[in-house]
Amino acid sequence: MAKFILNGEPVEMDVDPAMPILWAVREKAGLPGTKFGCGIAACGACTVHLDGQPVRSCSTAISEAEGREVTTIEGVSGPDGELSAVQKAWISEQVPQCGYCQSGQIMSATALLRDNPAPTDADIDEAMSGNICRCGTYTRIRRAIKVASGQLEPRADDIGQEA
Amino acid sequence: MRNNALLAAGLLTAMLAACGSSEPAPVVEQIVVREPGAPAANATMEQSAETAGEVDLVSLGMDAFQACAGCHNADEGGPNMAGPNLYGVVGRKAGGVESYSYSDALAGSDITWDAASLDRFLANPSGYVPGTDMVAGAVRDGERRAAIVAYLASTSE
Amino acid sequence: MNDMTPEKKPSKLGKWSRRGFIGAGVLAGGGLLIGIGVRPGNPIGKLAPKVAAGAGEQLVNSWVKIDTDNIVTAIVPHCEMGQGAHSVLAQMLADELDADWNNVRVMQAPTDGSYVVTDTARMFVAPFTMNAADWLEPTWNGLFTQVARMADALITGGSSSIRTTGQHQMRIAGAAARKMLVGAAADEWGVPASEIETRNSTLMHKASGKSASYAEFATAAADQPMDQTPTLKSPDQYRLIGKSAGRTDIPSKVDGTATFGLDAAPEGVALSYAASVRPPVPGTSVASMDASRAREMNGVLQILNMGDFVAVVADSYWQAQQALNTVEIEWTKSESPIRTTQDQFDAYAKAMDDAGATGGEMAASKGDAQAAFADAKTALEAEYKVPYLAHAPMEPINCTASFKDGKCDVWTSTQVPLMVRSAIAEGIGVSKDDVTVHHPYLGGSFGRRLEAVYATMAARVAQATGYPVKMIWSREEDTQKALYRPAELSRFKAGLDADGRMVAYDNIFTQRHDPAEASVPGIYNIPNTSVRVAEAPLHLPFAAWRSVDHSQHGWFIESFVDEAAHAAGADPLEYRLAMLDGSERHTAVLNKLAEISDWKAKRPEGSAVGVAIVESFGSIVAEAIEVDMSSGKPVMTNIWAVCDAGYVVNPDGFRNQIEGGIVYGLTAAMCGELDLQDGGIVQSNFHDYKMLRMNEVPQITVAIINSGTVPTGGAGEPGLPPAAPALTNAIFAATGKRLRELPIAKQFA
Repeated sequence: MAKFILNGEPVEMDVDPAMPILWAVREKAGLPGTKFGCGIAACGACTVHLDGQPVRSCSTAISEAEGREVTTIEGVSGPDGELSAVQKAWISEQVPQCGYCQSGQIMSATALLRDNPAPTDADIDEAMSGNICRCGTYTRIRRAIKVASGQLEPRADDIGQEA
Repeated sequence: MRNNALLAAGLLTAMLAACGSSEPAPVVEQIVVREPGAPAANATMEQSAETAGEVDLVSLGMDAFQACAGCHNADEGGPNMAGPNLYGVVGRKAGGVESYSYSDALAGSDITWDAASLDRFLANPSGYVPGTDMVAGAVRDGERRAAIVAYLASTSE
Repeated sequence: MNDMTPEKKPSKLGKWSRRGFIGAGVLAGGGLLIGIGVRPGNPIGKLAPKVAAGAGEQLVNSWVKIDTDNIVTAIVPHCEMGQGAHSVLAQMLADELDADWNNVRVMQAPTDGSYVVTDTARMFVAPFTMNAADWLEPTWNGLFTQVARMADALITGGSSSIRTTGQHQMRIAGAAARKMLVGAAADEWGVPASEIETRNSTLMHKASGKSASYAEFATAAADQPMDQTPTLKSPDQYRLIGKSAGRTDIPSKVDGTATFGLDAAPEGVALSYAASVRPPVPGTSVASMDASRAREMNGVLQILNMGDFVAVVADSYWQAQQALNTVEIEWTKSESPIRTTQDQFDAYAKAMDDAGATGGEMAASKGDAQAAFADAKTALEAEYKVPYLAHAPMEPINCTASFKDGKCDVWTSTQVPLMVRSAIAEGIGVSKDDVTVHHPYLGGSFGRRLEAVYATMAARVAQATGYPVKMIWSREEDTQKALYRPAELSRFKAGLDADGRMVAYDNIFTQRHDPAEASVPGIYNIPNTSVRVAEAPLHLPFAAWRSVDHSQHGWFIESFVDEAAHAAGADPLEYRLAMLDGSERHTAVLNKLAEISDWKAKRPEGSAVGVAIVESFGSIVAEAIEVDMSSGKPVMTNIWAVCDAGYVVNPDGFRNQIEGGIVYGLTAAMCGELDLQDGGIVQSNFHDYKMLRMNEVPQITVAIINSGTVPTGGAGEPGLPPAAPALTNAIFAATGKRLRELPIAKQFA
């Protein structure tokens, strides 16, 4: 029986201790925001936080989470549902295309900004190069991280929708 | 002008459909192990180990190794995957599988894998060998690590 | 789960409440539906049950629902795979409807023949009918709707959604619905329709001071006659078209609530999970399997030899995949003589050798190339080579299938839902009417999900087990068992006159798929041209891969033209300008590129800029890439693009697509390569089929030229073709090393 904290709530799961966190949260906890991309920790789509640190949940056994805190994309926004600065910047900069990798990108970016509130381009490149985006949104992610960290102004929407 | 591929594909489907459907392909072999929701007939390793009243470290390790199996195969003659085949890894020099392309860091290290070095590496791969391509798969729990190492060591015997 | 869930969920971001009021006289379940953009007659009675799921909604015509809270829902037939079609098509409809954009939602059209993309089909089959006279339009529309239905043409591809469905269906549907609302209000208020103004989903009559929300007249509007050829707005009347409206799907893609195929969770259905493996070599099948280890593994429910694949069904996908990995499978032997990458290229070379200097099928010809070669001052020859490529979208291939009482429901990411329906019907031996295809968001596609085999596999497994199954392909399966951008060889010969002008041009290659014009250097004025195709065997199955043939020929042609420019001692950008021979749009694009890239500027030591221009899918795109070679390896430092797509409907969305096309093209150019060994693919996952990452992609600047007033070009694909040649041309400019083979990275390892 695996026992850990999932997005702030204590959970118990009767799963094979070798099962990756990815499949435990998707199939057992019913939280599909964390995505399967490669299964070998090479693409970052499955990134979650384990005690605040970004890990590749496809290659991290649920036994590793024992007694620790797992945070997924579903646990990033505030308790009242308010989006985080990173999520807001992702909207203002219109980052996602297909959106499939973006949960992982946001988890990586959130961890980066926690450790480094004003990252340079080089810092961003280093922290984010484990996350592949096949739609090619890298330049927008870089910009959104700068917006989230207050280094750039958000893009103005010429219609004002969703602002 | 020729039709676009997408449309051509669509038209082809329409024509095939118009030719009348063929019989669906039969299932060649269907092994039913159990029904969904039914309890497993085969006892898990954990249960059998408990029943036996002793801990078979190699068996436990084989089970725990499933967490590594996304990237590594440990069968004799098994393939390299994202990571190298680990059959007989104990006693082997790091970077020693010729058919696998290692990171410079691991290829250039002078580690020869034994229980102690594998344990250190598994606890924190990039801490032990900075620059390794193994960016995930660290095993924090010492007992699980010991079991995995015991299993891997058993393939060298 | 159901695919009619509006994209704009009443989430934490939402301004949308969905109170369950049912207005007087609205359809059962409420609301107002306005008709299909627009089909002959108004079939809302038949369609309403399929799309008016929510309370308080009225279908006005096939594409428009209005609910009692005055929320307008655009029903969009194309899939959303990251290209932004859902949002931008709704934007086009909303503009013509004068809808309040803050209260517009998007709904994926159901997989039903009523929602075929008539004008996409029509543009590709009979483009000459696209701007028919009003009196003829209903005939053409009816005819092509029938053709499209027969062809299962509920398709997303060809960079076509905006310029076909958007321009010819959504705008018309919006304008027609507006006219119906105005008509209903005019009748009720007893005033002339011409005096009624519309704005932000509100009807107003100034003289009488009357005003009403669209919701109040939605039901009456549905009974109004529907104009199939309503007058569309002129550009000076656009309020939303031409603006960078934020995408409606993005909020759900930052909080994990967006539902992709992989996330399908049919309500009240307990899922089991399947992993599958197909033969490593095309054309082979399962000879035998030994599942003795797998049947002992945790969580395993069934192991199936399906003839063309093996599947393991388990309590979780991970358990299924672990067990499948232990199944020992013998495959039948392949008959294909092509076993290795070299075999494939040898087959190409032989076909071209056999065709000789003038043989093969003529794809395009002008003047007399052979005679012109004899007169030319300088001769130039080159052979280019590109490898097989996979699409590798981030969402692995998957399909959830349920088969019960002879009826099959599937949930899957697809660009071709009606084709999926037909394929499943055939695969499991039921009628099409007994198959329902739900298709949520696609986690990328790029042409990958234009096939139906994976959905059929899942349906067959669900039928065999008798319970619902979610089948997921491993990344390794998708890399090795998909359909592929073909490998290709292309040989060129050119003759230059004394001034360096290209007067003769001959090109031969082996793979001609689509678009047909991709291999024709049509933007250049070369007086004597022959473009030939030598037929050769292709070992791996063909796939349309983002920009299809343009992805190869763009690189071939623009590399060769660059070689000619250097042979002529000319500036590569000016050489191209001169070859355009006065084409205004192309000239403007190249001039703008020279301006924004500061083309003539001196670059740092070791750096240089390359240029390329390709017209594809109706859009003209020129790109310049600055590369720094001082480390001995190519490092891109800047990218500029200038695009003319006629008229851009959503500039920020357009830029996003061009940026994406560039990164996709450069990923292939830098590192994309699949090798064959023993008839199968060597690479398996992102560790050996590499992708560009953030640290390898520099700033990208995209400039847009609107040379017209309506969208005539696409956005999803046209950014890609010029990227690879702009980079290799830059590498040549920096180093003098001409790359005639892709990918690039291994040549600087």
